[in-house]
Amino acid sequence: MEKALINLHYEIIHGDFMKAGEASSNIKKALMQLGVDNAIIKRLCVACYEAEMNIVIHSYGGCIDVDIFEDRIEMNAKDKGPGIKDIELAMTEGYSTAPDVAREMGFGAGMGLPNIRKSSDEFEITSVVGEYTNVRIVIFID
Amino acid sequence: MNEIFHSVELIEEKCNGCTRCMIKCPVEAIRLKNSKAVIYGDRCIDCGVCIKVCPYNAHVGKRDVLDVLDNFKTKIAIPSVTLYSQFGEYIEPGLINDAIKSLGFDEVFDITYACDIVTEITKNEIEKMPKPAISPFCPSIIRLIQVNYPELVDHIVKVLTPIEVAAILIREKYGENSDGIGIFYLSPCVSRVTKGKYPFLSSETHIDGVLAISDLFPQLLKYINKNKAAAPQSNSNMSSTGIAWAIPGGQSKAMNLEEYIAVYGVENVIKVLDEIEKGKLSNVDFVEAFACTEGCLGGILLADNPFNARRIINKYYDKLDKRCEINEMSEEYKSRFLSDMKNNKTYNPKLAEDFASAVKKMNFMNKLINSLPGTDCGQCGSPSCKAFAEDVVRGLSTVDECKFITLKGGEGNEGK
Repeated sequence: MEKALINLHYEIIHGDFMKAGEASSNIKKALMQLGVDNAIIKRLCVACYEAEMNIVIHSYGGCIDVDIFEDRIEMNAKDKGPGIKDIELAMTEGYSTAPDVAREMGFGAGMGLPNIRKSSDEFEITSVVGEYTNVRIVIFID
Repeated sequence: MNEIFHSVELIEEKCNGCTRCMIKCPVEAIRLKNSKAVIYGDRCIDCGVCIKVCPYNAHVGKRDVLDVLDNFKTKIAIPSVTLYSQFGEYIEPGLINDAIKSLGFDEVFDITYACDIVTEITKNEIEKMPKPAISPFCPSIIRLIQVNYPELVDHIVKVLTPIEVAAILIREKYGENSDGIGIFYLSPCVSRVTKGKYPFLSSETHIDGVLAISDLFPQLLKYINKNKAAAPQSNSNMSSTGIAWAIPGGQSKAMNLEEYIAVYGVENVIKVLDEIEKGKLSNVDFVEAFACTEGCLGGILLADNPFNARRIINKYYDKLDKRCEINEMSEEYKSRFLSDMKNNKTYNPKLAEDFASAVKKMNFMNKLINSLPGTDCGQCGSPSCKAFAEDVVRGLSTVDECKFITLKGGEGNEGK
């Protein structure tokens, strides 16, 4: 398998709303240092932040890996948790299973996964109920 | 690196090499080299935090002094609205204007009129912009966006500040006779000095100098105390909507907005900008962000504390109770007050010009981070271990400047 030029790895803790967003902020900084185009940074930031929030709200915890290649950036968000029963439904804008505590904080609008897909060039989601959810996206650098 | 003009300056003899300013700088723009603070001009946003925290008064804010008035035939003052908050009680605005004239000015321009023009233009502009629109008023925040959030520059409302609008109106009023006219802003903050000398959104400025309110304060206070009993000679036509510009949220109030955020303190502003960047807050119409506590009332060139000043501003807001009615403006009229954004100097964050070299440097940097103690002790002269690693790969520091480094092989992972 092609080895990434840079790998950025972040552990995401369930329920840690205060720290949520740190991964995407750090990733943004790294991409700026590499000279990646601002528009691409913005897309990745949005996707990464939504993925972080998903892990914080819905899972028991997980991690985000960002792999930078010469022609693309891949993001893998993996968690252990309840998984997603109906992926198609979860991809619907506005559909949400977020608990009240998250909604009270302004999260859980049901836009997480749709926003991640919108920000990406390739989007893949795999999930096993009661075990895990993995989201993988690719954004090409031109 | 120091090609950008800055109003914050270091007096080297006074610096005793403590790490206070370096640690407190919200944008990590300060290093210690040979036991003296060094400000990296390409990252500095002129917020003045270093001036506030330095126990040795080694950081100072540049500004003009009153003598500069002698170079001009007609001297016109544009006082910041914050000036009216500085005397501990409600003072007739006309009397304060008299006091300003006593310093040698021929005319005091009412900046609230310019504020109201900018309010009307902004109201229009934000409807055409990506949400949330960001106020262009605080120069430090604009610089912060240019340096660290270049992708948010499109969110800044492209309107000139009331200061520039006021100066343009003055020059138009004098028309062909505008030779020998000197226009001076009486400023609550150092950042305005930078902007006055070196505008960084539009390509030109119409003011001739920036004076510090704190420098003028003793004379103003003396005049006011002496002449309090008599009726003021100057009239004042200030609007409450213009006075509101002194406080965070005042611009939004003037525009009758409901969905707005008012935030101050660079660290807090960074949190809000982070959220905007991540696509949140797109349901917010307008963000007023200020570097200083309580916005401009916390400017370091003022005399009173910002919270007492706020109390006084509220009095003006209630007493004036008058809106400037600026509704009908032709597009042509308005267009003169739009910023051309030609001077959008951003900071270059790249580790190297080409991608491959930047990757190499980043991998080395991440390896280095794993070898550093992570205590952010500041002994190396960088504000944190991470900043030190970045300084090393940028060639601004050398590895041996860290006394605690334990070189070990790492995977080169950033983060945890």
